[in-house]
Amino acid sequence: MAGNRLLRILAELTARGGTGSSARLCEVSVDVLAMTGAGIMLMSEDTPRGSVCSSNDVSARIEELQYTFGEGPCVDAYRQDRPVLEPDLAKPATARWPAFTPPAVAAGAEAVFGFPVRVGTIRLGALNLYRDQPGVLSDDQHADALVMADVAARAVLAAQAKAPPDELAAELETGGDFRFVVHQASGMVAAQLGIGVGEALVRLRAYAFANDRMLSDVAEDVVARRLRLE
Amino acid sequence: MAREPMLVRTFVELADTLVDDFDVVELLTLLVDRCVEILDVSAAGLMLVAPGGDLRVVASSSEAMRVVELFELQSQEGPCLDCYRSGEPVLNQDLGTVDRWSNFTPVALEAGFRSVHALPMRLRGAIIGALNLFRTDEGPLDANDVLAAQALADVATIAILQHRAALEAQVVNEQLNHALNSRVLIEQAKGVLAERAGLDMEHAFARLRSYARNNNRQLVDVAQDVIDGTLSAEAIDSGSHGRA
Repeated sequence: MAGNRLLRILAELTARGGTGSSARLCEVSVDVLAMTGAGIMLMSEDTPRGSVCSSNDVSARIEELQYTFGEGPCVDAYRQDRPVLEPDLAKPATARWPAFTPPAVAAGAEAVFGFPVRVGTIRLGALNLYRDQPGVLSDDQHADALVMADVAARAVLAAQAKAPPDELAAELETGGDFRFVVHQASGMVAAQLGIGVGEALVRLRAYAFANDRMLSDVAEDVVARRLRLE
Repeated sequence: MAREPMLVRTFVELADTLVDDFDVVELLTLLVDRCVEILDVSAAGLMLVAPGGDLRVVASSSEAMRVVELFELQSQEGPCLDCYRSGEPVLNQDLGTVDRWSNFTPVALEAGFRSVHALPMRLRGAIIGALNLFRTDEGPLDANDVLAAQALADVATIAILQHRAALEAQVVNEQLNHALNSRVLIEQAKGVLAERAGLDMEHAFARLRSYARNNNRQLVDVAQDVIDGTLSAEAIDSGSHGRA
């Protein structure tokens, strides 16, 4: 059965031109798993690093919320190294993710699911699925999601294996969003306030949280010199 | 214990060894020890191909076996090498009558072995080594023993190939994280320089890159110095025009 699932997913990818573009991974996830949207997030050292792909604006928003607040289904799936399922985000059985949940529901995510993206013990990030209706995953969907996450992990590594040393693979960079503007803004804030870049990132995050804004949006304003942190 | 339950127990043991950070040598030592217990053989040994393409002795059930296997590698002839080169089993070779190994045979006889057998460790196209089974008696191996031995070798093969794939994945993942970290440093340095020199990101990056080229330095090292404050915006500016 697992072999059939894998064949079906690989056939879908091939029909769209293979794993060459990371964006296809998210499209196939949506179609095969019958989701409203999907995203693939890379993480390291317990922190979101960026998106390999997201299939629509709501998925991008779900990833951005987790990037900003450092909490949510993908972050938990990566940290706990297991699937994290929330079939009813608006009325969860157990409340979790206090910063992530209200804006995610407001954006239209009624059910969210995170699956670890890994090869053996090597953890790369998480596959991020959402639906605009509440409801649990079927056993088939759950099994397909595990295989899809596995395919995504291998595709990410296969892409990076072809890149020159010290460089991010071009297909990951063009299809993904690694929020480089946030790091540019950290550099600017560090220079403005005479603090380290790490502390500058904390200040940017705190500002975003306090003003109910996304970290990337705040960073865009800093880089465009529309906003100066005091 | 009868053979079937012992085989089953061994497969469970092998599967148990396949935990996240299993030791290949430990797994293969278990395999050769169980071969001697389960099969009608006196000694078992295992050779694996190293990254350079040479075979190495990885596990032996006895010291006599290890010495004979090392000699096999040294003289570049013997059942294990024939098996590895052909990818086919080498079975039922009575050392009293075969004359295919002029160097190996006297040494194996001297160590007390009378018949030798070798099975390939293969998965689809890949042959990664061979399992040697030596007996102190002459005569053929039981057909069921051959089947059981090949099954044990196949399980070990799958485990080793998966382990190698996991190691490769780990290296690429480290490269990915390294690339991301380097890129983050460069973006931060662009921000610092943009602020200090009143530039936009594009011009800040061009200046960093010119400075690195003119001074034969890695971009990421220059970025780190800018972030640390050891390279000022003025120094970057004056070092980024023409050739230094």
